[in-house]
Amino acid sequence: MMWKEKYKIGVEKIDQQHEELFRRVEDFVVSLRKEGEWGDKLPKVKETLEFMKGYVVTHFADEEAYQEEQGYPGLEAHRQVHEDFKNEVGEFAVRFEEQGYAEDLVQQFAGKLLAWLINHVAATDQKIADYVKSKGVSN
Amino acid sequence: MKAQYVNPFYQATIDVFKLMLDLDINRCQTDACSKMLGKKEVGVIIDITGDLTGSILYRFPESMILEMVKIMSGMEMAELDGFVTSALGEVSNIISGNAVSKLSSEDYKCDIKPPRIIVDKEKPLTLSDATVLKIPLETAIGELQIQISLKEN
Repeated sequence: MMWKEKYKIGVEKIDQQHEELFRRVEDFVVSLRKEGEWGDKLPKVKETLEFMKGYVVTHFADEEAYQEEQGYPGLEAHRQVHEDFKNEVGEFAVRFEEQGYAEDLVQQFAGKLLAWLINHVAATDQKIADYVKSKGVSN
Repeated sequence: MKAQYVNPFYQATIDVFKLMLDLDINRCQTDACSKMLGKKEVGVIIDITGDLTGSILYRFPESMILEMVKIMSGMEMAELDGFVTSALGEVSNIISGNAVSKLSSEDYKCDIKPPRIIVDKEKPLTLSDATVLKIPLETAIGELQIQISLKEN
């Protein structure tokens, strides 16, 4: 189980989306790490990737809207992190098409995605929670 | 090597291991610490550009890498494949990115290049610069080493 309770930032909508993202990434990793022929795994891999592309955009937009609402001073930097990530995923998507979804490339993408997501939720997003809590104390 | 360059990498490694892996890191005091390195290991090199130029090399033994990716994924990892080394490269990338952010608060503006991953060389991995600083570190799942070679422009 990749998701941990400690990743919660205390905003229900964002926490639910994070949990869903972790569940999907976990499904993705499980589907491409299981025994079997790569060709048989590909439909599930493509389906998960399509979902991720759409869901990540929605989630990032919701997260940025929440930061704006809270007057979070790190919003611009956070938005840039989201943009960089979307660009990287886009570059991988182009390489996937060019290389016919080569197994090693998809495995590399999944490894990077795993570490990126954990850091983003466990560290970067926790700063939003820290800010909101500190605001609550000072008010 | 100035402590000002080195501490951000040391501190960022401690922070990232704690947040991402729930692991504490300590400095190794003896040579025994490197017993796991030099066997089967992976090195991740990240080049730095800007006010400081040079490279950082992170060395991890195989057993430790498999355990790190198991902690992150919740799945057993059997070998150093593309998934495992890519996850490790991203962890090293995150550490270096955080270190560079800390350096900017010391007025050193730097950027990092994408990680280069070197698997299973026969000789122990090392940066070629004679002034390289080596930091041996230990965790509950194994020992790692950071090599830092940076100079001011």
